[in-house]
Amino acid sequence: MIRIDDLHVRFNSDKGTVHAVRGVNVNVAAGDFYTLLGPSGCGKTTTLRCLAGLERPTGGRITIGNAVVHDTERGLTVPTHKRDIGMVFQSYAIWPHLTVFENVAFPLREVKPKISEDKIKERVTKALELVQLSGYESRPAPFLSGGQQQRLALARAIVREASVVLFDEPLSNLDAKLRAETRLELRNLVKRLGMTALYVTHDQTEALTMADRVAVMREGEIVQEASPVEIYKRPNSRFVASFIGQCNFAEGTVRAPVNGSGRGQLETEWGPLQFTTPAEAGAGDGVTIAVRPENVRLVDKGEDSQAEGEVIETVFLGESVECRVRVGNGDLVARVHPGQPVKVGDRMGVAIRPEDVALLSG
Amino acid sequence: MANTTIDTPLDTPATDSKAGRNFIARFFPWAVLIVLAAMVIAPIFSLVAGAFSLSRLPNEFALDNIGFDNFYAVWIEQRIDKVIWNTTIYVIGATVFGITTAAVLAWLVERSDMPGKTWIYAGVPLGIAVPGILHAIAWVLLLSPRSGFINRAWMNFTGERIPLFDIYTMGGLIFAEGLRLVPVAFLMLVPLMRSMDPSLEEAAAVSGASPIRATRRVTLALLLPGVLAISIFQAITAIENFEVPGILGMPVNLHVFSTRVFNLIDNIGTIPAFGQANAAAIFYLAIALVISFFYLRLVRHSERYSIITGKGYTPRQVRLGRWRKPALAISLFFLFVTIVLPFLVLLYVSLLNYLRPPSWDAIMSFTLKNYETVFNQPRVAKTLMNTIWVTLMTATSVTIVSFVIAYIIVRTRFAGRYALDMLSFLPHSIPGIVLGLALFWLFMQFDQWTGASTFGSIYALVLGFTILFLSYAVRAMSVAMIQVHPDLEDAAKLSGAPPWRIALRIFGPLLMPTLVGIWIYVAMLSVRFISLPLILSQGGSNEVLGVMIWSLWDNGNISSVGAIGIMLMSFMFALALGLRMFGFSGQKGGAL
Repeated sequence: MIRIDDLHVRFNSDKGTVHAVRGVNVNVAAGDFYTLLGPSGCGKTTTLRCLAGLERPTGGRITIGNAVVHDTERGLTVPTHKRDIGMVFQSYAIWPHLTVFENVAFPLREVKPKISEDKIKERVTKALELVQLSGYESRPAPFLSGGQQQRLALARAIVREASVVLFDEPLSNLDAKLRAETRLELRNLVKRLGMTALYVTHDQTEALTMADRVAVMREGEIVQEASPVEIYKRPNSRFVASFIGQCNFAEGTVRAPVNGSGRGQLETEWGPLQFTTPAEAGAGDGVTIAVRPENVRLVDKGEDSQAEGEVIETVFLGESVECRVRVGNGDLVARVHPGQPVKVGDRMGVAIRPEDVALLSG
Repeated sequence: MANTTIDTPLDTPATDSKAGRNFIARFFPWAVLIVLAAMVIAPIFSLVAGAFSLSRLPNEFALDNIGFDNFYAVWIEQRIDKVIWNTTIYVIGATVFGITTAAVLAWLVERSDMPGKTWIYAGVPLGIAVPGILHAIAWVLLLSPRSGFINRAWMNFTGERIPLFDIYTMGGLIFAEGLRLVPVAFLMLVPLMRSMDPSLEEAAAVSGASPIRATRRVTLALLLPGVLAISIFQAITAIENFEVPGILGMPVNLHVFSTRVFNLIDNIGTIPAFGQANAAAIFYLAIALVISFFYLRLVRHSERYSIITGKGYTPRQVRLGRWRKPALAISLFFLFVTIVLPFLVLLYVSLLNYLRPPSWDAIMSFTLKNYETVFNQPRVAKTLMNTIWVTLMTATSVTIVSFVIAYIIVRTRFAGRYALDMLSFLPHSIPGIVLGLALFWLFMQFDQWTGASTFGSIYALVLGFTILFLSYAVRAMSVAMIQVHPDLEDAAKLSGAPPWRIALRIFGPLLMPTLVGIWIYVAMLSVRFISLPLILSQGGSNEVLGVMIWSLWDNGNISSVGAIGIMLMSFMFALALGLRMFGFSGQKGGAL
């Protein structure tokens, strides 16, 4: 439904040329919820704005549905207002001089041929119902709370029933609790309407909970694209692993690649480990491995543990306890159930399942 | 301050002085309110009383000689309805012309990629340094129908017998006054355009609106309330202005309200009709008050239109393409016409023996004789001293009084602070000519009763200017004070500082740029304002430069006008530069 080929954007700023987007390729299937995730300044918002036609790419090709909306080679650009899209802005961009009803009705009034007033009323009412803003129709838009404004922006984006809806960090101005509630509501709504969504965020939780596919961006490039589960379990780089959730890293050497039994052997600073992912690295190659804190189990000494370490710090987090364990030359963070009795100074065995060991390429 | 009745321990020896201080803290705001009320209401009261007086002179006012005759005379004999009509055309024309020009410049500076924007941005506000009287005189020298330099050049060049443009017309009035409105309108429009979140326009585009539709339905609709408020503000300025219509309209009997009121008491060959002038002034004041009322109503509801800006604010500029250079050329031309040209014209006439159009011969005959003549006149030295004294005293007293009033309005729970707020805004709608006339009556009565000679002293001018410029200063001061977070003050209170120490050590330094800005701006206003001193000036004792220029121009002494005008303008530019460098740091639109 959305296809971006080899997108490049360069800006001329006071400090010279900034190469904000460097050859991004995106392919979103119809009905998919696709998320661009990355730290600020990684080019994710610029990519989204190119798709909306609010920014002009320096090179590349963008297709929405069956229509090519931008092609630098052919010098073709469809202006924003002729693209089949809806968009939710980070600032919501609610027009303060219009009522709630008129804000939502705005896109419908721009449709040609004209839609009748009755029809407009019907569709606006339905859209406001979907975002639970019924009864606020005649209210001036600035008199809404932050959460209500966010939902109004959503209603305006979906009312036109465009095939693609774009989200530019729509939840970043909400407080934590509201954000958590809105995440699922928003995803369910988009899925129910069968729209294709491109969602930009710097919040890993949003990306993991909402998306069908996640693309992690860094310095204008997509560094990994996968499903949320895969990207969490098998990050391909230190950057992705540490950007999404917490992670323990260690340098190691491959002793034996994955063999017939499905296991490979590693020698690391934490001691010997096994792994299951088929990797390009052969025996004797140096690799970086990543292990999530919740996958590190602290067990009694000797009991199927690969290594042994001393607990040097514990932090109580409520639903879990985070333990820093000194193993060999390195430190390791383990997240354990608060019921497990762990004290500073304890010597514990450390157990890591082979399938939880991720080999990083860089 | 009224709420600082914190219990003090009884056993402290300082109890007496504490009680005394509490007493002052409680009654000081009331004293301020009463003084301000007296300053604003007393002149207006004497103006109204004078309108009913049928005596020939103000000091002959008697209760048994009053009636409505003045109003009748003004309406029927003086045809004030014609003046209302003229004023309407003049104000609407000048406002539309001024706002349009200012809006184009502000848009180019804020929202386009025009080159050299910083220069235009710094240059446009400098226009406030050209006093209105000199601005109008310069246009007469350029565009008077027979001898104006431009008209003469045009007629010589084309052989036409009709001048290119006659400045002594309604069109000329609108043109000259419109240009005068641009600098302040520009300073008010720039923040308005800056605060527009570009994503509001982008949201319209994403919703399927074409650029033209988006501009109309979102950009213009959002800017409209702000632009309307600024337009009304500028209309009040235009309606009050005396200098431009006084120079351009009065000689050809093209009267607007300000010149008509002045004309009734100062018209060669006729007896001054003081009572009628007051009656006309009351019509004038009523109209100004009504417009101000609309302005207040509009501004009060402005929070509804306060434009939401999100975190993802990226200022984006419209690409002008091949219009970049022409846009810059137009902006530079504007600066040339409003700032450089008046200066050049006056410089030119100040260096001539006798008035003649620019030519090589004229340039070869340049002489400093006029400057010598001017400097050797004792009258000029006296006038210069008067001007400096009036300026220093006015600027200082307005700054102090506005600080006190703004502090009470913003930072205390004084019961009468709304009354204080209203009273300090009221003078904004009193035209200078009207206040001059009102004070004229007041001082006459006062001197009559007490035998003092307040009328004709420079203190009369200082009082008049202080009342006139107070509303501007209180507003600028309140805005700055609101931005100082109350916590900063509370922290000082908790550190044990008494209120006056807080004012001195916390507010003073934090508000210093605003205090300096207000001081300099008020100084500029009092130098260039001539309607009020024109009525309150009595011979040499309190004559100021503006009044002297007026009478020299009236006598046809153009070379001296040029020489004094150049001095005055240089002084004003110095003040304007000072304002830019030291006043209103950060909030560049401060000199509203």
